[in-house]
Amino acid sequence: MKPTIAIGNEYIESWKKAGKKVVGTVCCHIPEELIHAAGMLPIRIRGTECTDDRDGETWMTGYTCGFCRACLQNLIDGKYNFLDGIIVSDGCMFIQRLYDNWAVIGNTECKLNINIPRNHDKLAVNYFKDELQIVKETMEKLSGNEITEEKLNASIDLYNQTRALIREMFTLTKGNEPKITGTETLQWTIRAMSMPKEIYNEELRAFIDEAKQREPITNYGARLMMIGSAVDDPEYVRIFEEHGGLIVTDYNCYGTRYLWSDVTRQEGESAIESIARSYLEKLTCPRMTDLHDEMYEDMLGLAREFDVDGIVYVRLKNCCLWGGESVFFYDKFEKEGIPVLTLEKEEITTNAGQVGVRAEAFVEMIEGN
Amino acid sequence: MAQEYWRWSEESWINPDLNDWKGACLTAGVDIGSTSTQAVVMADKKPLSYASIRTGSNSKDSAVNAMNRVLELTGLQREEIAFTVGTGYGRVNVPFADKTVTEITCHARGANFIYGPSVRTILDMGGQDCKAIHCDENGRVRSFMMNDKCAAGTGRGMEVIADLLGVPIEEIGARSFEADQIPKPITSQCVVFAKTEVGHLMREGWTKEQVLAAYCQAMADRVARLLERNGMELDFAITGGIAKNIGVVRRVEKLMGVTALQGSYDSQIAGALGGALMAYDLLEKRKRRGQRS
Repeated sequence: MKPTIAIGNEYIESWKKAGKKVVGTVCCHIPEELIHAAGMLPIRIRGTECTDDRDGETWMTGYTCGFCRACLQNLIDGKYNFLDGIIVSDGCMFIQRLYDNWAVIGNTECKLNINIPRNHDKLAVNYFKDELQIVKETMEKLSGNEITEEKLNASIDLYNQTRALIREMFTLTKGNEPKITGTETLQWTIRAMSMPKEIYNEELRAFIDEAKQREPITNYGARLMMIGSAVDDPEYVRIFEEHGGLIVTDYNCYGTRYLWSDVTRQEGESAIESIARSYLEKLTCPRMTDLHDEMYEDMLGLAREFDVDGIVYVRLKNCCLWGGESVFFYDKFEKEGIPVLTLEKEEITTNAGQVGVRAEAFVEMIEGN
Repeated sequence: MAQEYWRWSEESWINPDLNDWKGACLTAGVDIGSTSTQAVVMADKKPLSYASIRTGSNSKDSAVNAMNRVLELTGLQREEIAFTVGTGYGRVNVPFADKTVTEITCHARGANFIYGPSVRTILDMGGQDCKAIHCDENGRVRSFMMNDKCAAGTGRGMEVIADLLGVPIEEIGARSFEADQIPKPITSQCVVFAKTEVGHLMREGWTKEQVLAAYCQAMADRVARLLERNGMELDFAITGGIAKNIGVVRRVEKLMGVTALQGSYDSQIAGALGGALMAYDLLEKRKRRGQRS
């Protein structure tokens, strides 16, 4: 198994050595295609590798979510000094605060904050298209490259290939003979957001082909689905898999939700219009107020498709999006006979033992003790 | 040496009514908690003997010491025990365990045995955490919630308060009802803050009994929220060391509007007892598998 890719990795190093620029994003509702089409490398900012977020807490206070504090800490610690640009959105309240702080104290050359609507009607798509036009112009200026319709369409095609490969990878957790673990799938989706897609697609293709030849995984007691706040640390998933669970799918913006549903084209749409519509239609998290029921239908559909025995609902402490969802969980899943384990999480995992007890007891419960 | 008010009595017990256990299938459960360790041996699923001791700095030694007490009482050799389940926070440190099972599963099973098959909601109030567990008529877990954020509201928190006020821990429950007036409940989120608040109340002139009442009330408030969140279904039982503190138990009952069942065994051995029962089932399963192959 490959270790989780480092924030500052060899691919980024080579990219920078070639004199090319790197732009970081935080929320998966920011279309990376626009950065890619400008000839730059889009990467996703994460809190992984942070073991002490005291500066992040000083700037953002303890009332913010640990994930955003850890991201800010990583920025302050210089782990993202390779960034030439950063694009943040109002994906959630604390990502916005992350931007506010970095806008004041950060040294990144280009800092852009965009608004992403919380609904997906025609008005919202038009508004988002205008926001993306600002992203396009900013990226053109930063890179010195024009983003043509042709280039943007090529980027959409490349990203859709990545999406198809990620979906194919997840088929390897299905059925009675799963070949890969949830720790691995999260490592691979994080890899996707940390290196050039052209190389990644080849690597993932090779991994899928190799994994298909593996002996099935048999040493697990329950097939689990992890749902909730951002989980960007595969070691957290590993805790469950070391205690009898197998995470076969997820609803996590660093997992399946990063690149899952394709950017589709409709008659008469420009590439940027297709991106705006597709990104607002995509089901990711409770931030989209007019897709709440659809999101639960989608989660339930995935749970059935992946033959899930139980849901692990992870909410980051102070998460403004997933924090209040538990009121729906019991109704939506337990009524369907799928038990739910609710866990509160901090970005920096210091309670692996306590999480492990809950994970193991949950698996024992599902197995019928 | 200064009196240790926190120190609760360690116990050993052998079943006086069980005389014909020679030749029975012997199974054991060893529950290493953060504060106490229990070993239970059962003969054909009937309690034969148990020991409950304080968990020392070395979990492995605690397991060995608890089991040695049971072996001394019964005259058994460890090899005569057919299957042992390790449970509790230190379950992986039981050197002679054949399998580990979480304390959540074992407490449900143990409570089913101690309090009977009508138990549906179990509150386990342990040394450093508390758990609300739902189970079926066979003691199988249906759902659970845990709170282990801080020692406040748990056995260890009670020990700290016992020492601070100079009241033997076994007297705390009864004395908390001797208060005529009660100050506002003390914080149940942090044992360090709780200590500060206790000091403040004493300086304000509240009596020890009044302060104990406030602390027991705070602990009851905390676990009642956990029970409410996980749902209360009757019958109700409490396991763990705090189940022996009537100052907390009565207040939990009042808050929840229920009466906890009374058991015929020490509430503190529920986890280890459940472990010994699980051990029997696992052994049977292994035998069946052996016969098939």
